[in-house]
Amino acid sequence: MTSGISKKIKEIRFSLLSPEEIRRMSQVKIITADTYDDDGYPIEKGLMDLHLGVIEPGLRCATCGGKVDECPGHFGHIELAMPVVHIEFIKEIKRFLDATCKVCGRIKLTDEEIKAYKPRMYELMHSKADVELLEINIKKITDEAASRTICPHCDAQQTKIILDKPTTFREEGIKVTPKEIRERLERIPDEDLLLFGMDEKVARPEWMVLTVLPVPPINVRPTITLATGERSEDDLTHKLVDIIRISQRLRESRDNGSPQLIIEDLWDLLQFHVTTYYDNQTAGIPPARHRSGRALKTLVQRLKGKEGRFRSNLSGKRVNFSSRTVISPEPFLSVNDVGVPEVVARELTVPVSVTSFNIDKVRELVKRGPSPRDESGRYIPGVNYIVRPDSRRIKITDENAEINSERIDVGWTIERQLMEGDIVLFNRQPSLHRMSMMGHTVRILSDRTFRFNLAVCTPYNADFDGDEMNLHVLQNEEARAEARIIMKVEEQMLSPRFGGPIIGGIHDHITAMFLLTHRNPRFTEEDTINMISYVDVDHLPDPEIIDGKKYYRGRDIFSLILPEGFNARFSSKLCAGSEGKCPYEDRVEDKEVYIRSGKLLTGTIDEAAISPFSGVIIEKIFKKYGPSVASTFVDRMTRLAIGVLNVIGFTTGIHDYDIPEDAVSSIRSVSKEAVAKINKLIENYQAGLLEPLPGRSVDETLEIEILGVTGEVRDQSGKIASAHLGLNNPSVIMARSGARAKMLNISEVAGMVGQQSVRGGRINRGYTGRTLSHFEKGDIGAEARGFVQSSYKNGLNPLEYFLHSIGGREGLVDTAVRTSRSGYMQRRLINAFENLKIDEKRRVVDTSGSIIQFSYGEDGIDPAKSDKGRAVDVDYTIFDEVGESS
Amino acid sequence: MRYIIWKDLKKNMTQLKKRAPCPYALDFSLPESPRVTDVLITTNGKEAAYHLKIEEISGEIDESTLVKKTSKKPKQIVMVRSVSDIMPVELTKLKFKKGASLSKDKVCIVEREKLDSVSKADLFVLDDRAKKIIADFEKKGFTIPHSLAIELSQKIGRFKKKDYERLIERIGTDFSRNEVDPHEAVGIIAAQSIGEPGTQMTMRTFHFAGVREMNVTLGLPRLIEIVDARKIPSTPSMTIYLKKEYEKSSEAVEKVMRELENTTLIDVCDLETSVADLTITITPVENRMKERFVTRDELITALRQSRQMKGTIIESVEGSEKIIIRPQNESFKDLYKLQEALKVTTIKGVSGIKRAMARKESGDVWVIYTQGSNLKEVMDKIEEIDSSRIYTNDLNEIYNTLGIEAVRNAILLESKRTLEEQGLEVDLRHLMLVADMMTQSGGVRAVGRQGISGNKKSVLARAAFEITAKHLLNAGLTGEIDPLAGVAENIIVGQPVTLGTGAVNLIYKGFTSDEE
Repeated sequence: MTSGISKKIKEIRFSLLSPEEIRRMSQVKIITADTYDDDGYPIEKGLMDLHLGVIEPGLRCATCGGKVDECPGHFGHIELAMPVVHIEFIKEIKRFLDATCKVCGRIKLTDEEIKAYKPRMYELMHSKADVELLEINIKKITDEAASRTICPHCDAQQTKIILDKPTTFREEGIKVTPKEIRERLERIPDEDLLLFGMDEKVARPEWMVLTVLPVPPINVRPTITLATGERSEDDLTHKLVDIIRISQRLRESRDNGSPQLIIEDLWDLLQFHVTTYYDNQTAGIPPARHRSGRALKTLVQRLKGKEGRFRSNLSGKRVNFSSRTVISPEPFLSVNDVGVPEVVARELTVPVSVTSFNIDKVRELVKRGPSPRDESGRYIPGVNYIVRPDSRRIKITDENAEINSERIDVGWTIERQLMEGDIVLFNRQPSLHRMSMMGHTVRILSDRTFRFNLAVCTPYNADFDGDEMNLHVLQNEEARAEARIIMKVEEQMLSPRFGGPIIGGIHDHITAMFLLTHRNPRFTEEDTINMISYVDVDHLPDPEIIDGKKYYRGRDIFSLILPEGFNARFSSKLCAGSEGKCPYEDRVEDKEVYIRSGKLLTGTIDEAAISPFSGVIIEKIFKKYGPSVASTFVDRMTRLAIGVLNVIGFTTGIHDYDIPEDAVSSIRSVSKEAVAKINKLIENYQAGLLEPLPGRSVDETLEIEILGVTGEVRDQSGKIASAHLGLNNPSVIMARSGARAKMLNISEVAGMVGQQSVRGGRINRGYTGRTLSHFEKGDIGAEARGFVQSSYKNGLNPLEYFLHSIGGREGLVDTAVRTSRSGYMQRRLINAFENLKIDEKRRVVDTSGSIIQFSYGEDGIDPAKSDKGRAVDVDYTIFDEVGESS
Repeated sequence: MRYIIWKDLKKNMTQLKKRAPCPYALDFSLPESPRVTDVLITTNGKEAAYHLKIEEISGEIDESTLVKKTSKKPKQIVMVRSVSDIMPVELTKLKFKKGASLSKDKVCIVEREKLDSVSKADLFVLDDRAKKIIADFEKKGFTIPHSLAIELSQKIGRFKKKDYERLIERIGTDFSRNEVDPHEAVGIIAAQSIGEPGTQMTMRTFHFAGVREMNVTLGLPRLIEIVDARKIPSTPSMTIYLKKEYEKSSEAVEKVMRELENTTLIDVCDLETSVADLTITITPVENRMKERFVTRDELITALRQSRQMKGTIIESVEGSEKIIIRPQNESFKDLYKLQEALKVTTIKGVSGIKRAMARKESGDVWVIYTQGSNLKEVMDKIEEIDSSRIYTNDLNEIYNTLGIEAVRNAILLESKRTLEEQGLEVDLRHLMLVADMMTQSGGVRAVGRQGISGNKKSVLARAAFEITAKHLLNAGLTGEIDPLAGVAENIIVGQPVTLGTGAVNLIYKGFTSDEE
């Protein structure tokens, strides 16, 4: 734990390494291609020289004297026998060669032109303007210079240089050696460099042709010792070995006057090794391979892509003090809580600094050891480690707890195990929005899963079919404060996406509230007390006395959990979405929710009232009373839901879909009619009598007409089925209340499944001219194209079953494609917008200071606090403040 | 109240405004009775935007002070007392005297209960009540936007004093509480809000939107297309309205559609190439010709005018519909070239518009939907269309013809529509931010390495996004400096980011010495 002011990096300058600089920062010149001797000791002046750093415990660095983890590692260098070009700069080298004179080295522009371009280039280089703009200007200037065939300075005739990819340059068919290239680049005067977008203080063009190669420290390319004692070198080391070997052979051949051909071959080989050392995926070069045939992972490969250094180690990091396990539901927890298994709580710790104020308590804590329990055997937090002021950590065991509790003093830190009330971050991937990571307070539970209230499933998009989630324990006070104030679940109840609730009742909660309030049922005193006992409410509503017995009304019971003085007025979901006239429409008493002074007077509480996305009650409570009242309401509502269902009882099953025989037969006749209609259409089509719709071919018209017919029958059969299924049917209750499924799904089970589709049309793929081999070629009738007349309940015949699977497959493929596409879109969006923020004047600016908007969203309203996008819900405010008179 | 109304030029109005009161020479006579002194002027034939007060003139007038409406011989001279800008009144909102219409008669009498003579210069379109509301809020120290004031003026005007005060207080506090917090990372929130529902969108490229007969890309692919700022959308389409005077006439619609649809020779004719006598025979197909409203004469004139047909011999066969064409030089190569050129010869229409379809929409108004888009040419070429209501989903075209502000709004509208059509609720403010960010530079920049991300100031941020090595190496070459201002680069070096709580510093100075 360091304290005080920490250093801050202000900026990072980039530049090229000059050969001198490489030699200067090098600790050792590497000349042997070997690594370790037979005893396993690093060979001097070899690739594992002790001057380059240490990775083996016990050894000390020959440069800085540090041990493992102390020594940061040091560079060495290799003197190449002959220069080679740097593959990553090949384009720039070409640009320089093209644009400068081969004789005098000047840029092939007249002095006037140079004078004209320089100020602009200077400005572009120093204003830190658009990188792209600079690039465009450089290209324009150099292209102009390259087009000259005679040097304006020395009048020398120029020749065209061709880049024979990947690394060879040719001039009139003759190879230009890297040595020659380097000489030419050296001739370019400093003054001309500006026109290439370069600054001689930062980089000289000849540095792009390598004469010295820096050797990275061994920390960058550690040797791996396998369990068998076998050593395995890093890919970079392998590559460096190759480079040294060839360089040496080249030097020998050159010095003892070998034929030019051999020298050239060796030179090319050296070029190959240096090239693949930088980038082993260069186009036109076969990748260098490991003995096993695996392509080596060299410098560029280490940095690039999703698994590269940047995206996987720099932008994202692995953390300690975190945990991951399966999740399961726990309706008795608050939405703000997370149930943490004891095993996890014992492992995760919170650092507590010892001060004169808490030293006694801390001593007590340490004395308990690492696995204490209270008298009744319940979990209480212990201490796993204590940290001395010099950062030495001491592990606490049952044996040393007593002694260590005495040793602790002010300035020490202890690492205390998790306890109830600690704030932690809880997360489920993919983290698509900020509600994917929220602050929860810890509740220690038995068993081995994380648990939370079901109302929080929606923001995490979690279910319990094996989902796992992550938990992070915050390590400093600042982070904990931010988590409490900003990230806590109750603070995140409204989504910034649309300004409505994202946390609310789901499935059974909605069913239960529906059963409790629809038609305002009466409950006996016993039942009522039973229900209310689930909630922390300490009084009963006013009773209704019939025959001397006390009865309580459902809406009155629901009113118990509403905050005092709460007002709301809206329509229930009951009728929404039903086509035509809804049978419940006339019962205003059930349909229109009216809450006045915390009392539900009329209406049914269902999806429209308490669910995520639409729940009016949750939204209005949050706006009027704030986060903690809103979360208390959700807590009580979810508990009451269980109470209600335990009293009333609710179950669903296949017999929900039993419909009388005459309904079955009328569905059958409807579908027969449809098939007849389709056949008639096909007949007309085949006779050429079908009139095409405007802008459509006859074939398309037929398909459209048939789809119309099939859609119609499905609706009809749904109507017939639902006519026999009323609100006493559990499945219908779920659909009507918005708890789960739609009426359409019920009609699929009870009535008929209907037309299967692929890409918005009937199924028409598979074999030539037919979907399945059971049909005749060219059969375009209803059955042959995926019209399923059976219901799920009665079961599909084999042909229908296969066609249904074809339709179902599309959905699966779609989901798979969609996730990757939308994931990439979101990554790009985040990357493009991450720098935007609101400044103190409430403008939108980016971090480099450009203004994007003068007033955020034209009115400066935070969508998360808005009322579904509007600044203030005027109608509700009037209703709430003034009441009915409006 | 009664008004006289006529069409006039903007130029005249500005001149009158400068000189009024002054005499004005009209090229028509005012109606004798009833006498009306109030005049509404329309400059565009759609809405009246000026209000004049006139008087009759008696006696001599000074020629030099006279303003003339046109160069035509003046018929009557009136005295213009005052000219004022008014909130534009749509002509359809005015009650015309029986049988009269502005296009037929140069001048006519209209009625309207009351004219809101709010000057345009005043705060947009605030009426007195709204202004009072704003003032009332200001008294309590709240600033509210006009949109809210207008909404309130319709809703809270008639409450008792006590209730009114209370409402102002509550709404004022609510509003200021709902404002965004400084340093809020609105960009990331916007990106998440658009990206998160992406997983719930359909991939189905084709869907029947509005017009059943036409395909339009929707859902996720369309959204990606918008943020990519793709040069050519996969399904360009236009929505065209006709000017008010034509919009109900089916003849006008048919005429416009005929002018719109780009018809090539192969669309209406069959081609037959004879290698033996080096000719191409064109056989017009009757029903296809009819469908596309092409006559044989039109066909021949089009062929004659076509540039590729230069030098060829075009003969029409007597007694038959056929047309025979011979190449200039008798060579097979030329014949083949000619055949290929013929296939794509445009007979009529606007290039790029493959199909046009008309549909009657609410109020018996014809709307034309097209497959393919060419905003500039349609607006230039076809007179009957109402260019104030024309629309295309080709953003690049909007940028090229109407400019950056227009394309900003188009991005907003298109992304809003795409999300709405999928039934996804996304706050407009997020989409606005995307549209503003994409158009901030003055051109349309895509979201991605070619656009916004590729132009970031920070080397590390660019390297972390895509094409890592190239950015790092170039930075070395040019000696770039990373100022470590943004989010990605500070995460890379392990520093707090400059957004949200990371943007503020809290320094504890300890006790000052005298407090100790």
